Amino acid sequence: MVMESNWAAEHLQVIRTLMERAALYRRALAPIMIFNGVTGLAAAALGWTLKVGSPRGFILYWAGVSGVTMAGSFLLVRRQALKDSEPFWSPPTRRVIQALLPPVVAGLLISAVVLMNVRSAPADLGDAMGMFWLPLSWVVLYGCAFHAAGFFMLRGMKLFGWAFILAGCGVFALGIPDWARPLDYAHGIMGFFFGGLHLAYGVYLYFTEQRRNDA
Amino acid sequence: MNPEPFLQIDRVIHEKGRLAIMSMLAASPVLSFTEMRDALNMTDGNLTTHIRTLQETGYVSVTKSFQNNRPLTTCSLTAEGKKAFTSYIDLLEQIIRQNRPGQK
Repeated sequence: MVMESNWAAEHLQVIRTLMERAALYRRALAPIMIFNGVTGLAAAALGWTLKVGSPRGFILYWAGVSGVTMAGSFLLVRRQALKDSEPFWSPPTRRVIQALLPPVVAGLLISAVVLMNVRSAPADLGDAMGMFWLPLSWVVLYGCAFHAAGFFMLRGMKLFGWAFILAGCGVFALGIPDWARPLDYAHGIMGFFFGGLHLAYGVYLYFTEQRRNDA
Repeated sequence: MNPEPFLQIDRVIHEKGRLAIMSMLAASPVLSFTEMRDALNMTDGNLTTHIRTLQETGYVSVTKSFQNNRPLTTCSLTAEGKKAFTSYIDLLEQIIRQNRPGQK
């Protein structure tokens, strides 16, 4: 009797695992991360070289960069969907987008408010809002977005989200260093988080996915 | 021990490959042929055979369409398939409950 019970329990466990697997999003993750990482690093270097140093210029510049990365990510997902003969707007894709949306919208609204107010604010406050606090808010909100989407993706995505949240809050807690110039600090933060971390995770995903496919 | 649940087990779903297909479709309203093939590590032929069996039983509906001039085959559970899958899960739970210590 116990054997039948074990058999039934094992069957239920297999069903649960398969149902979880079916609901997971796993499309083009490594290419998206690598693309976003390279774009983030290049944009940080370019922004610093071009001396995009005013809060308004900084916000608009990085809004443009995020538009490029979103369009690129969309094309990469679409390309893999076409290659694998899968519907683009699959249920896991829909769930991931829905999870990403609230923090992304919050980031957009906060950026719009800062953008509208930096010009009339005193120079120091404008720099602090636009070049120090805003990039860190983006980092933390981005981490929240990835953590939420991580419930429908590989387990590592939630850790990736946590890395953004904790490191972003940590940098917030450290405060603005005396030596920091807005130009170096803001583009440095963006390059490190949106460039370096993405690239590192993308390379890790690329090799682990390849190993899994080879196995 | 009540042998009733064992006798009621749906033999179409009970087969390992078909159970895997039904489980995946129960979690996602629509899945493409390639998604299922890759997730379940099945060959095209094996998956086709199982899907055909499920389709003939009325548990799965198959839709063929085109996406950017490339054929796209998607599968989903029918209402009957959902009902059969739920009954199958209920039976498994019943078997477990029946064999718990203190249960007859």
